Amino acid sequence: MSPPSLDRFRSRLAGTIREEPNPFGDAVFRAEPSDLRDVLRSLRDEHGFDLLLDVTAVDHLELPDSKPRFDVVYILRPSVGSERVRVQCRPPDEDLSLETVSDLWKAANWAEREVYDQYGVRFRNHPNLKRILNHKDFVGHPLRKDYDIKKQQWLSEPDDLMDEMRKLRGGAEGEESESVLLNIGPSHPAMHGALRALVDLEGETVRHTVPEIGYLHRGFEKSAEKGTYTHVIPFTDRLNYCSSVMNNVGYCRTIEKMLGIEPTPRAQTIRVVLLELGRIMDHLVSVAANLVDVGALTNYWYLFNERERIYDVIEALCGARLTHCYVRIGGLAHDLHAGFEEGVEGILRELPKALADVERLVARNRIFLDRVVGVGAITAEEAISHGFTGPCLRACGVPNDLRKDEPYYGYDGYDWNVIVGTRGDTYDRIWVRMEEMRESMRIVAQAMKKMPGGPVDVDDKRVSLPPKTEVYGNIEALMNHFMIIMEGIKPPAGECYGSIEAANGELGFFVVSDGTGKPYKVKVRPPCFYVFSAFPRLTEGGMIQDLIATLGSLNIIAGELDR
Amino acid sequence: MIAYVRNIQDACASIFDGMAVTFSHLFRRPITVQYPDRIPRRIQETLPDRTRGHLEVDLDICISCRACEKACPIECIVIEDVRIPKDSVAGVDGKETARVKEPTRFDINLYKCMYCGLCVEPCPTGAIRFTKEFEGATDDLSRLHLRFVTPERREVVLRKGEGYEREQAEKARKKAEAAAKPEGGKQVDPPAAGEESKEGDKE
Ligand code: SF4
Ligand code: SF4
Repeated sequence: MSPPSLDRFRSRLAGTIREEPNPFGDAVFRAEPSDLRDVLRSLRDEHGFDLLLDVTAVDHLELPDSKPRFDVVYILRPSVGSERVRVQCRPPDEDLSLETVSDLWKAANWAEREVYDQYGVRFRNHPNLKRILNHKDFVGHPLRKDYDIKKQQWLSEPDDLMDEMRKLRGGAEGEESESVLLNIGPSHPAMHGALRALVDLEGETVRHTVPEIGYLHRGFEKSAEKGTYTHVIPFTDRLNYCSSVMNNVGYCRTIEKMLGIEPTPRAQTIRVVLLELGRIMDHLVSVAANLVDVGALTNYWYLFNERERIYDVIEALCGARLTHCYVRIGGLAHDLHAGFEEGVEGILRELPKALADVERLVARNRIFLDRVVGVGAITAEEAISHGFTGPCLRACGVPNDLRKDEPYYGYDGYDWNVIVGTRGDTYDRIWVRMEEMRESMRIVAQAMKKMPGGPVDVDDKRVSLPPKTEVYGNIEALMNHFMIIMEGIKPPAGECYGSIEAANGELGFFVVSDGTGKPYKVKVRPPCFYVFSAFPRLTEGGMIQDLIATLGSLNIIAGELDR
Repeated sequence: MIAYVRNIQDACASIFDGMAVTFSHLFRRPITVQYPDRIPRRIQETLPDRTRGHLEVDLDICISCRACEKACPIECIVIEDVRIPKDSVAGVDGKETARVKEPTRFDINLYKCMYCGLCVEPCPTGAIRFTKEFEGATDDLSRLHLRFVTPERREVVLRKGEGYEREQAEKARKKAEAAAKPEGGKQVDPPAAGEESKEGDKE
């Protein structure tokens, strides 16, 4: 059943907008380029879809309906609530452009830049339509189907970012004697990965910030189109590498959604345990690094000790510490090992001590409080406009959490709370994460207690390798085995958006299948991409040292940001 | 004024709190170990069973089915093989599996490998598997290009392959003779079937 807000939308716009059938859940509306802005605005203002999750495009070149060639996709969701809606619009081939919506949502600014960069669709009246992930001198648009994946370009000239900075500083170039331009990153220990920001300083006050991303762009989405659906799983490990198992789950869950598969109860519960351990690891890294940024170094070791403990358990489970590659479409790579339970018990026993230690060290510490309270604050409206999700949005007081809004894997059956802040500043972001770790521990404890028995792989010929013993004896099993390996898993043709609540927020995968064993398109919605787009807003007017503290609290993971 | 005094109080208290916490850590067991050489056993021996270290292949039980080659997302594994007279091998779990091909080349590019494990899962005999070895640091990349089929082994396999060709040629000749007696002109498999299927497999 559709929620009332969408029904109202349907009846209001009957006639002007076509609803397309979508076998995979979300409502899909097709808008004409001329109506696009009105449709999106109406969804935002009158129907509560205030969160623009992602903008992307599909190149239909190799699909049957290749005229017009590009289909631009807007994915929306209410900031609290479960239903999701996609508005799709095909710009005409002759003039590959659409009106921008970056004035309606700040999130659209970077999202549209990415579509322009990867597909070459332009957005009229966009304030700053330049490449974002690829190098400024890059020729062509890599995600177009006719762009050869093996093609190489030699690009060495860095972008000085002065085009953007000049715009921000205004015309009066000569009078700027007081201000100093400072380039921070991309290789700077305080920038947490290959991020770069050019700041305009007046004394120690940041007047303007121009961030640059893309230093770790390695073409995840293009590589994903090259192999089978299973081949993508190890690539997802490298998105948010602090909690790679969460990316595994997010991706596999989307493909399972397309195939109409529910994992077995045991697999679901194991996934919940790992998701929450992943969340804890991610938050540990984020909080620990953030505390280092404000000078509280010892906390780092205390928190990393606990992370180490979790890594030990996960290593015994799947064989790797960082890039777990543990989840499979329809199941898991292995069942739990003997000793997993004790390992988790150890974590649940020791982690609260470490958190208590850290709390004792910083909670009343004057220096710490002065460095983080009120620093890098953002209001809920602005955060939503920027496309914040996860801890950063919850710190602003919005109880946005997919685990509650759209419970999957039985999250509604556990007793836990969504943690929200009040001010949306660095302090709240740290503390939301600290408390979320405690909630995650509660979920892990409950999940371990109820851990059901049974298999971890679904019994479905389309996805699961038959048991080895059968492969030898049974010709049908042998054929099935080789079909899955040689041709891959084949989800039905169509477009599907699936997401989970990852450590940083909503991690979405927009997957297009053409019915073959190769993904036609895999687009990631990395939560920190949108969070980082608000970086200038969070830092301008603050002090230079606050910029570092704020950056740490956003937990920007370059692997996920740049893909 | 009260707030001011409380601030000072807090500041002092938090220093002692901090000292207490830090001091208590002096007496906790360290969670890390000295690497490489401060523990009595080799570090590899302490790793869990599922550790995904360097790959190895047991060629004696590999049936050259190329499932591992296909399963690898980044084409680390390169296999070339020939048809051999049919025999069978015992997989790691003791099950017999028929073998009709044997590799003349089995290379794994460890410097490309991401140790994801996708190649190990589909192997029907368990020939390809992870070891616990992880110390691959080297100044010579070619050392990480593992070639499992030695030249000597290649010779042996090639001879087996020739045996197969001879067997096929013999069969074809007999068949043709038998066919020629009553009517003749019946189509038989070309003798070089092994070579052809190898070319086909590559695509
Ligand atoms: S471990 Fe992964 S990357 Fe390495 S050879 Fe096997 S499938 Fe390829
Ligand atoms: S999957 Fe196993 S048996 Fe098949 S070629 Fe690879 S190592 Fe040999």
